[in-house]
Amino acid sequence: MAGRGQIRTNNSALIAMIADEDTVTGFLMAGVGNVDLRRKTNYLIVDSKTTVKAIEDAFKEFTSREDIAVVLISQYIANMIRFLVDSYNKPVPAILEIPSKDHPYDPAHDSVLSRVRYLFSAESVASGRR
Amino acid sequence: MEDDDRCSSNNPGGIRQEEEDEDGKVLRFLDSLDSYLTLLDALSSTLRQGWFELASARHSMGSSRISSVLLDQKVQSAATTFQVRKSIDGSPSESHPSFTISKWASSRDGKCSFTELEVSCAQKTSKNSELRHRGSSNFYDTPEEHDLTINASSTISDSDVQKERAKSLSVFGTLVSPKLRAAQVSFETALDAIIEIANIRSSMLSAFTQLQQEMKEKDLG
Repeated sequence: MAGRGQIRTNNSALIAMIADEDTVTGFLMAGVGNVDLRRKTNYLIVDSKTTVKAIEDAFKEFTSREDIAVVLISQYIANMIRFLVDSYNKPVPAILEIPSKDHPYDPAHDSVLSRVRYLFSAESVASGRR
Repeated sequence: MEDDDRCSSNNPGGIRQEEEDEDGKVLRFLDSLDSYLTLLDALSSTLRQGWFELASARHSMGSSRISSVLLDQKVQSAATTFQVRKSIDGSPSESHPSFTISKWASSRDGKCSFTELEVSCAQKTSKNSELRHRGSSNFYDTPEEHDLTINASSTISDSDVQKERAKSLSVFGTLVSPKLRAAQVSFETALDAIIEIANIRSSMLSAFTQLQQEMKEKDLG
């Protein structure tokens, strides 16, 4: 995946967040919040009323914006749009799955780790021995 | 088979070099993978601390005073930004992005000053080569100790940073709980971990791509 596609350099990029209220609030306190002239924010607070469509739209929007370097997404939210997250393969913005208060991080579901896991699978080992 | 024996006996050094290169790539990949998991563990601990401090602040200040409803919807620029650069390992086709963070940038009176923390993969990899205990929450013992372990070229005074921090908390009122300030520092520390994770991820995927290419070439050859 690395090296695939152009790497957009940027001296003043943002971090986007798709997470629960406490996680977003915490990171906003750290100074990463941005609201542009069109009142578009660089975060989406996900609660029980947020639809999967809204999460998908936010993910697509953040990954297509040129001013975003990293997209933070809580892993349990990434699981709701797993197909979309796993099919993303651009180097920038980097997609990082993070734990949430109620859902600890599970390496088995991480899209990056599942991509590289095949290197350790029986098939790849067997093909190497042939 | 006789030809192979002749080839291997004619050029044992070349084959050995290829094997060493391949081993190097595999080691680089495994190192990155290990660092990635260790850093994610550390991030989990830091976030847990931040959530706990946020919950404590909410308990002392009241739920209505710490809520997403209060978040400012006015046009504002992020005080903490990121830089994306191209990092090249070997050939230009093996480039991958490299991330750095600029915390609490302030542009007042035409002056632009910021605290830039460059966290290099090599630095962290050498640090990680020491004995590691995955699951420990001591990767960043305290925010102050963490600052000492990172090369920081600070061109902003502490008072400016404190002003920026206070401005960020001002949406929750003039007087805020010390727990809220502690939560802010925890999430700042989490941002440092996130940048390291982004760099390690980039390096890991670059090493993985190289290994994939090698395996394909071997299958074809």
